Amino acid sequence: MKALSLYQDRGTVVHRVDSRSKLLYILSAILIPAVLPGFMPGLAMLALSILILATGKVFGKVLPLVGFSLLILASIVLIQGLFYSGNKQLLFSLWRFGFYREGLLFSGGICLRVMNILCAVSILVLTTRPSDLIESLVRLGLSPHLGYVLSSVLQIIPQMTATMETITDAQRSRGMETEGTLLVRMKAFLPLIGPVVMNSLVSTRERSLALEVRAFSARSKKTFLNPPQGGTANTVIPLVLLLAMAAAIVWRVMQ
Amino acid sequence: MKKITVSGLKYRYPLTEELALKGLSFEIEKGEFIGIIGQNLSGKSTLCQALMGLVPHFYKGGYGGSVWVDGLEVGKAEIHEIAQKVGLVFQNPFTQVSGSKMTVFEELAFGLENLGVAREDMAPRIEHAMELLGIGRFRDRNPFDLSGGQMQRMAIASVIAMEPEIIVLDEPTSQLDPQGAEDVFQAIEALSRRGMTVIMAEHKIEKIARYSDRVLLLHQGEMVAFDTPQQVFSRDDLERYGVVPPVFAQVCKGMGIRNPATGLYPMTLDEACDQVVNWHE
Ligand SMILES: Nc1ncnc2c1ncn2[C@@H]1O[C@H](COP(=O)(O)OP(=O)(O)OP(=O)(O)O)[C@@H](O)[C@H]1O
Ligand SMILES: [Mg+2]
Repeated sequence: MKALSLYQDRGTVVHRVDSRSKLLYILSAILIPAVLPGFMPGLAMLALSILILATGKVFGKVLPLVGFSLLILASIVLIQGLFYSGNKQLLFSLWRFGFYREGLLFSGGICLRVMNILCAVSILVLTTRPSDLIESLVRLGLSPHLGYVLSSVLQIIPQMTATMETITDAQRSRGMETEGTLLVRMKAFLPLIGPVVMNSLVSTRERSLALEVRAFSARSKKTFLNPPQGGTANTVIPLVLLLAMAAAIVWRVMQ
Repeated sequence: MKKITVSGLKYRYPLTEELALKGLSFEIEKGEFIGIIGQNLSGKSTLCQALMGLVPHFYKGGYGGSVWVDGLEVGKAEIHEIAQKVGLVFQNPFTQVSGSKMTVFEELAFGLENLGVAREDMAPRIEHAMELLGIGRFRDRNPFDLSGGQMQRMAIASVIAMEPEIIVLDEPTSQLDPQGAEDVFQAIEALSRRGMTVIMAEHKIEKIARYSDRVLLLHQGEMVAFDTPQQVFSRDDLERYGVVPPVFAQVCKGMGIRNPATGLYPMTLDEACDQVVNWHE
């Protein structure tokens, strides 16, 4: 089934690390390069993220995301390199435009930060089952109702798209024009959206009835089928990350 | 032992004038298989939901009389309390999938997690429910990837895992193909044989005639009859209530074949066969 999720089921070590550690990793990937000066910490963090992504066998999935963001980042480099307010030292010029050192360094920093966040978030999103992620958020105190909404949306939206397609096919087989000029399509859209809206309203009520039957609104403490991901790795990793962040902050304050 | 006692049950949906249930009173014994029949909008679904407490707790509206299930007064209890005694299965298998779980096994755990069942107790209950409904081999599938019949059996299993003593089914096979419907009926029959109290609203009269111990006939929110299938389907006024008797009853009626012992028409193929053989001798 098409699910609204980027999760890749590759079953590597990275997949077995719990989502709490991965969430902390995102925090570290943002915080540590921001606290420490220079490009080195950011580059090191990025190298680490890439290493983790490769271990999780999902590096290939990050490339399209990186490619897309490069497009935006390139424009930032261009603009800052040309017009950054602190620009002083001319580095090189292309045709009539001069690129300045300060602007390029500044935009380089932004690019590095964005790439870091992108890769760290990708580790979480690509190697964690959405339902596990949400479950661990619920364990950390997210309301179970909100948790349900988040995880069901991921599955139910593709289902609604499928309903839409079924209805479109049904209408088309009855001779309705669904392709062609804008006007034709507009005309086709109205009778099409009626059943879809009705359908989803009715099924929303039915689903909430069915949830009640499954004791969804019980106020007692919920339990979880899956045990919390324990193991030494899942206690060591958060600990190391927290220490690293603390060390970075302490070092910065001491300077 | 009385499992369900309904007395003077009246109910009106919010923003409507007419009562959907107009003073129903009946009792159901433990282990009975009850069929609820009646034409469209006669109140079958409303009655099913009243046994589970969705009427009145979910819809609100006007409520009178009382429904007791297994020592619990439905009108005063909360839905999640009742859910541990009564399970309800709806028509559409698709809308009963919680949508928040990635596998059939986890889907069955959904109700147990909500009830706060201890983790160690979950797996045996889920295994048992999957086995009863014959869906064990789909345990790792995504719930949405099942066929209609499989999905409906999963919906029943999800309820069974919560270990209710009564299961109420509202036209559980109306959206399934014949094979899917047959699978579901067999599964329900197996539950009934194990002593579970089963209440089923259904348009498929043949099935009701074959499986029910007693049939409750509803018409415009009133109970017209509550008796054995033979008694109910031998009535002469069924047409008035929009009910078509089982085909064997019709044929035997046309030919004037009655069971000499009871004076009633046969309901099923086997019964009809016996009578025809006797009639010729
Ligand atoms: N949610 C609702 N709000 C208002 N009125 C309702 C609602 N659901 C049902 N009714 C009304 O209650 C009455 C009984 O409906 P109910 O759905 O119980 O009939 P039914 O026997 O299950 O019909 P069907 O065979 O079509 O499933 C009908 O008059 C119907 O219009
Ligand atoms: Mg109904």
